[in-house]
Amino acid sequence: VNEHHSNAYGLMPSPNLMASALARSTDDAAIVVMGNSLALYNPPIRVAEEMAMIDGLSGGRLVAGFPVGTPMDTCFAYGMNPATLRERYHEAHDLVMQAWTADEPFAFNGTYTKLRYVNPWPRPMQDPHPPIWIPGGGSVETWEWCAEMDYVYSYLSYFGYKAGQATMKGFWDRMAALGREPNPFQAGFIQFVGVADTEAEARRLYREPAEYFFNRCLHLYPPFADPPGYRTEATVRAGVEGMVKQAADRAKAASGSSKPGASAGLSFDEMVDRGYVVIGTPTTVAEQLTEVATSLNVGNLMLLCQFGNMDRDLAMFNTDLVARKVLPEIRGLFTDEWEHRWWIKPMAADQRRSTTRTEVAR
Amino acid sequence: MTDPTSVVERRVVATSGGGTVTVFELGSGPILGVLHGTAGLDGPTAAMEDLAADHSGGGTVTVFELGSGPILGVLHGTAGLDGPTAAMEDLAADHRVIAPCLPGFGSTPDEPSLRSIHDWVVALSEISDAAGITGAPWLASSISAMLALELAAIRPEAFASLVAVGPTGLWDADDPGTDLYAVSLGEQASLLAQNTSTLGVLAGDPDGLDGDELIEVGVSRYIRRRTAASLVWPLPDHGLAGRLHRVSAPVTLVWGADDRLVPPSYGERFAGLLPEATLAAPIAGAAHLAELDAPAEVAAIVRLRAPAGA
Repeated sequence: VNEHHSNAYGLMPSPNLMASALARSTDDAAIVVMGNSLALYNPPIRVAEEMAMIDGLSGGRLVAGFPVGTPMDTCFAYGMNPATLRERYHEAHDLVMQAWTADEPFAFNGTYTKLRYVNPWPRPMQDPHPPIWIPGGGSVETWEWCAEMDYVYSYLSYFGYKAGQATMKGFWDRMAALGREPNPFQAGFIQFVGVADTEAEARRLYREPAEYFFNRCLHLYPPFADPPGYRTEATVRAGVEGMVKQAADRAKAASGSSKPGASAGLSFDEMVDRGYVVIGTPTTVAEQLTEVATSLNVGNLMLLCQFGNMDRDLAMFNTDLVARKVLPEIRGLFTDEWEHRWWIKPMAADQRRSTTRTEVAR
Repeated sequence: MTDPTSVVERRVVATSGGGTVTVFELGSGPILGVLHGTAGLDGPTAAMEDLAADHSGGGTVTVFELGSGPILGVLHGTAGLDGPTAAMEDLAADHRVIAPCLPGFGSTPDEPSLRSIHDWVVALSEISDAAGITGAPWLASSISAMLALELAAIRPEAFASLVAVGPTGLWDADDPGTDLYAVSLGEQASLLAQNTSTLGVLAGDPDGLDGDELIEVGVSRYIRRRTAASLVWPLPDHGLAGRLHRVSAPVTLVWGADDRLVPPSYGERFAGLLPEATLAAPIAGAAHLAELDAPAEVAAIVRLRAPAGA
């Protein structure tokens, strides 16, 4: 579940509300809140409190995600000053982590948040805190930060694994440069998926939802994507360098339009060709997802089985097929070689609230 | 922030048609002239810093200076400052024009510790003292005009008089003006000035630059847009309306008739809140940064308020 504001396709201003509902309607699933845009909470200690509650309600099944938030969410819908957004985000992160790990009440004297007494109750169920996953968009600083903090780096691109190669390579290159091991479970990636019994049926079923999402829901008024100050100077420099290089290369090569975001008006076949949407039978989808995971070296795939204008029946059909026929084929990837150190550590099943077991008061 | 103005890089532009001389200035107290040796001078030396007894390790502010006569302080608008503008050159005919570039607006490096309006007002106060314009008549535009009025609200002697071109700082929900940061870069430029070539490095497609220079121009543009936006984000009301009654010096309000960012209707609002205000007729053919679109007209208004013979 994620956080978006003033957004017609992401109707989830508070992912914590959704996570609370899921905590009581599921038994075993990890609840990945991806996540709370830390700079938007005042004081941000609220995030430490609510996430601890969800971790308790779910019996220790929460994954805590901390995005900066999109420019539209943060700077326009919530009025944050883009020049100070990231500083505010990092300060809020430090406060939340300190609140989850400090042994005693403490005072927090930040630039943006000043609290004389920090002493949140309850603490998270997981000790010392839920696993931390950071959604990123490809900035150098986020790669470094996840590597240094030992957090999961999740590349939340809607544009599929082919366009995601460069970004994930950037992350793994930074990890290698910092001497970190390439444990695929320290990386996450989003992928749209559509499964049916035959290839032709899959194309028939998922064409309209995919076109609706990419050509309609993703409509973005360009100035809202880049308020001045949202990008760091290093990212701007890299981007300008990219443009200068692009201009220099333009004479030589007729560039393909594979740029992420340049999806307006794409046909469904183009979306499939570019990997925005992985479509097929359970067997071919499992093969493609194995390719996604191994080519990106990603151990956490966030599969979107509902997208665009898909109705309830189709969403359930797709989710059911993915769960029963696709996931068993790919679940064991990487587990022989790597330990997943960023997964939930729930209470024992018989200690947790069950949706099926009758609970009798003593 | 320690002290952003402890070093001033002063570029004195000779009035007799000559070139530019860079002067580094730091500290306060009795003046001590320092002439460098064979190695030349790229900035303050250790000996200079030692001699500047109260030097507290702040940043550098670039100040452009031209002309002679009574001092006139000039504060740039949203586009920043890369050198003397046409209005500055016009006024330099009978004034000593002193124009500091505020941090993050081009010639002066960005200062990330400037976060709130209070930070900025303190910085402007220090810059004004270091540049030597405190108590002089000022010409200020857009965000700088807002900062000048904020400063005068707590330090009434900041300027003897102010010509304020399209000041930001008020908000009228019935006439909000265009959101500069909700339009494309090309539209942003044309909202700032009718003649976008006057925006200097902020706009246009710079020719004749190599790759590295293009990168620096791109980064500089981004930083000055970030700095300007941070002063008016998410909307420009920081409570100035409640402080304007403290501005005791006379203020002349000037608007470009085609200002769509801060519509000319705001002139009446400022005039109603300031104790001693004169509202000039809007200048035809000028957008938000009217001093760039109509330098002669703005210079003429400044001369009315701050005559060289006064």
